[in-house]
Amino acid sequence: MRTSRNLRMAALIATAAAALAACSTPPSGGTAPKAGSAGTSLTADLASYPASLDPGLQYDTDSYSVYRNIFDQLLRRDPKTNKIVPGLATSWTQKDPKTWVFTLRSGVKFSDGTPLTAADAAFSIQRILDPKFASQQNANFSAVASATGSGNTLTITTKYPSPTLLSYLTTLSVVPKADVQKVGNAAFNLHPIGSGPYTFVSSIPGSQVVLKRNDSWWGPKPQIKQVTFRAVPSGASRVADLKSGKADIADSMTPDSATQLTGSSGLKVLSAPTERVSYLAFNTIKGGATNDPKVRQAISMAIDYKSLITNLEQGYAKPVNSVLTPLAEGYPTGLPGYTYDQAKAKSLIQQAGAKGKTIVMATSPTYDPQIVQAIQADIQDIGLKVSIQNTDQATYLKKVQSPTHDWGSIRFGQWSCSCLDADGVAYPLFHTGTIWSSYSNPQFDALVDKARQTIAPATRTQLYAQAYGILNKDLPGIGLFQIDAIYGASAKLEWTPDAQQSFFVADMKLAS
Amino acid sequence: MRNHRTLVPAIVIALYVLVALCAPLIAPFDPNHADLAARLSGPFATTHGHFHLLGTDGLGRDVLSRIIYGSRVSLAVAAATVLVSGAFGVTLGVVAGWRRGWLAAVIMRLADIALSVPFFLLAILVVAVLGPSLVNVVICLSLVRWPRYTRIAYANVLETRERGFVRGAVAVGAPGRWIVLRHILPEVAPLAVVVGTLELGLMVVFEASLSFIGLGVQPPTASWGSMLSDGQQYVASAWWLATFPGLALFGLVLTVNLLGDAVRDRLDPRRRVPRRVRRRRPGLGEPAAEPITTALEADHA
Amino acid sequence: MRAGAAAAVCRYLGIRLGQALIALFGVTTAVFFALRLSGDPAQLLAPQGASQADIAALRHQLGLDAPVWRQYLDYLGNLLHGDLGYSYVQHEPALTLITQRIPYTVNLALAALVLSAVLGVGAGMVMALNRGRWPERVLTPLVLVGQAMPAFWTGILLILVFSVTFNLLPSTGFNGFDSLILPAVTLASLSAATIARMTRGAVLEQLDRDYIRTARSKGAGTARLVTRHLARNISIPILTVLALEVANLLGGSVVTELIFAWPGIGQLTVQSVDGRDFPLIQAIVLLAAVVYIAVNFVTDIAYAVLDPRVTTTGKAAGP
Repeated sequence: MRTSRNLRMAALIATAAAALAACSTPPSGGTAPKAGSAGTSLTADLASYPASLDPGLQYDTDSYSVYRNIFDQLLRRDPKTNKIVPGLATSWTQKDPKTWVFTLRSGVKFSDGTPLTAADAAFSIQRILDPKFASQQNANFSAVASATGSGNTLTITTKYPSPTLLSYLTTLSVVPKADVQKVGNAAFNLHPIGSGPYTFVSSIPGSQVVLKRNDSWWGPKPQIKQVTFRAVPSGASRVADLKSGKADIADSMTPDSATQLTGSSGLKVLSAPTERVSYLAFNTIKGGATNDPKVRQAISMAIDYKSLITNLEQGYAKPVNSVLTPLAEGYPTGLPGYTYDQAKAKSLIQQAGAKGKTIVMATSPTYDPQIVQAIQADIQDIGLKVSIQNTDQATYLKKVQSPTHDWGSIRFGQWSCSCLDADGVAYPLFHTGTIWSSYSNPQFDALVDKARQTIAPATRTQLYAQAYGILNKDLPGIGLFQIDAIYGASAKLEWTPDAQQSFFVADMKLAS
Repeated sequence: MRNHRTLVPAIVIALYVLVALCAPLIAPFDPNHADLAARLSGPFATTHGHFHLLGTDGLGRDVLSRIIYGSRVSLAVAAATVLVSGAFGVTLGVVAGWRRGWLAAVIMRLADIALSVPFFLLAILVVAVLGPSLVNVVICLSLVRWPRYTRIAYANVLETRERGFVRGAVAVGAPGRWIVLRHILPEVAPLAVVVGTLELGLMVVFEASLSFIGLGVQPPTASWGSMLSDGQQYVASAWWLATFPGLALFGLVLTVNLLGDAVRDRLDPRRRVPRRVRRRRPGLGEPAAEPITTALEADHA
Repeated sequence: MRAGAAAAVCRYLGIRLGQALIALFGVTTAVFFALRLSGDPAQLLAPQGASQADIAALRHQLGLDAPVWRQYLDYLGNLLHGDLGYSYVQHEPALTLITQRIPYTVNLALAALVLSAVLGVGAGMVMALNRGRWPERVLTPLVLVGQAMPAFWTGILLILVFSVTFNLLPSTGFNGFDSLILPAVTLASLSAATIARMTRGAVLEQLDRDYIRTARSKGAGTARLVTRHLARNISIPILTVLALEVANLLGGSVVTELIFAWPGIGQLTVQSVDGRDFPLIQAIVLLAAVVYIAVNFVTDIAYAVLDPRVTTTGKAAGP
């Protein structure tokens, strides 16, 4: 009896203490409304808190999912066709191979009331190029020589003819020059002001960002009035949030959690093929066995692509014929796909004299360990031994990007250049001397070098067809499949996700 | 009664060790054999003619076989870590508590430092500097855990050294090393055993977080910890993935703690020797301690 | 005499402060150099298609191309001015980023601590006083479940039961008192086991001592025994464990914070280490070291208060 009294006491004290602790809790930065209560407010679970709200700094999915709603982009892509369409710029012309002139929409205002001009657009590019700003997007705009704006006209000149400039300009959000200069970069990052369909309300760093509808936006009025982005890193917790109605939509679902959601009432799965591709890259310089093209070919035939797509990815993936997706400009449509042929793979390994050899496979926890292990099992079935070296991302990069090329024989990874262009894969992954490349082929290099300074689309496509033809035979890498972006959502949400993983809340509707 | 309390947990632990040693003989399947078409089958499932008593994991591997093989890594790492960090930590704690002064200051501040570096950071640094291997896992975990033993031992020694039987021993000029071995360690040991038995379970889980950053075992080698963390995203949909390795771990933690209790009681100086005898004779050849201990005895009467 | 005592106390505090500063210096220096062996932040920051030159430029911007000793001197110089540097990833002062998270970590740590202390000490006492009888047999496995169940497992189960099935409590995020309960319980289940086991051990040890036997022989009931006699004598081992748990909890609990999307120091630590955000890591380590040293300092003083014998004798006032 004494025991139970003790326990009751304990419970009492615990409650009192917890209440005390709650009293000292900081005031929550935003009033997060209960999901779906008003019908026009939306709660979205992202995998992590945006690294920056300043669109000039980070360009990762979780950051741009939030800030692209606050800002307007210079150009946009049609969600269905992926063609480049007007955004802030209503029209554009190319005066010469290195000069582009854009006409900006008139009457656009930032949410603080100042009008948006070409000078703001030019400033948005200039600050990314400014080394002192240390923007992570600097590399995307490294072709730009200058950007100037006067009135409604923005002029961009490039150092060399750059066919991917327009593509990268779809990622450019325009910031207010006057405000940024007045408050400074650090303050702007904490309290961004833009011209987009939503405006910043409040944030709890590490936890949530609240935006509300910008009623003076130039576009069609969005249905959703307020949106709360929450950072929920655990996938299992995001599923729980959806099931308990705490969130209306959740990003970064795995195929397995999607399958789990399809069985729950009131929830649905939204998905769209992205430009992200799962790939294997070989070390053809110091890879040991994989220096031999025969071994690479054998490995390409050892992998059961269909099983990966149907069993592991649950159909949320599509086969490809190169380390590129069909969404990209310059995708080599004429190339044959990879084939699964264990018998032939085994005989190739015999011919190459590689039977029983051990090869090292480098990967990091960033990439799905199940796929890595499935591939390992596939390759071991044809007579090679595969030892996985799983290290954290920083160590992985340090190893793989080392100019000494002694990182092992195969690595697994995922690639997306946010540019929907063949160049964004061919050049950085396989061109001689680039950080990711452990492959060298002068013939391939020449084709890629030429293509990346050619504007005419038809000529480019032809050059890439040849370049990817070489990769398809020589196999410095294998495209495993195109990855789908998967979202879990309330059945009431109407939205079609697109290839860019744009998280435009203005395009979403919540049925009441 | 006492034998029974020691014997049963000891037998269970011996069984765990036996399973680990004889894994290839007991396991029904190759723990690394993947069968994607049979992935995530529940317990008692028969897929492609194979009966999976505890189901299959995300790659279609037999969960039971992986638990059996996984015990090798988990038991070895956990036991080694507890022994290394326990021995190291207790020794430093006793030295600090007995010698006090600058030596204690150095030891205890070192403990503060070791405790204050975030585990995740330390693990990454160990991988970066030493490279990945199972021995380095033990080094890394011991580096983090020794201060727990040290602080507990230190506090205990500070208290014990002021007790009558120790002061008595000091008063008669008994050598320090002898007093520490004879009087101090037996007082510290029971607490250290309690901490160690608790740490054992934690270390199995910690090993998993290390393999996640590439320090522990590399996939596809099984360990209970990695099975637990792999099963994390399937808690709601494929409960068997984390539940069975979790039960294996729980069984181990429970028996080790029960054994720990029994051992603690045996180590406890007051239980080891009949009370009256011990009080009268705190140590052989130490008659001058009598007055003090007798004074304490007075309380008893 | 009183002045002498005060001087002794002041001297003791001074020595301890000096030791703390040396320890802080040691830990920051070790972490500073070890970090620079562990990876290149510029590689992680650069977009996937970046060239060698882009990464080199970024490295230069971050000041990582300077000799390490130069970087170290700069770091120390800034530190003396109270400048902990700018986060590479988030482009905000490291100090700001940390102070934003502290209230959440402190809240969760306090709630978890109180819960685990109350449950742990309670369970430990019950176990010790009912040794070998059914309350102990029931409590032993119950307490140990917490030790064998990793936090992510407990956490998700609690969410599934209390948020998804019964819809009683919020699943994730921070929204008032409700959202504190599940993460606090998750954390407490882990520390309560340690505290309970240590309490049991400490109480058992005391129960065999003579003064308790005396009290018992004089007819003292269990309640009186616990409040009058035991409480003070078992406080040192329990305090030691509690101090370790406090420091642990204040350091941020990575897994629990991730599961419950709790914006505390633990999440920030993992992110900063993952991203090799050197200034932020260094700031976190510095803060953690200050907290640990402070907690242990307070603990050592508490020992002296609880058991004057511990420090009143001996030449040095103890470390």
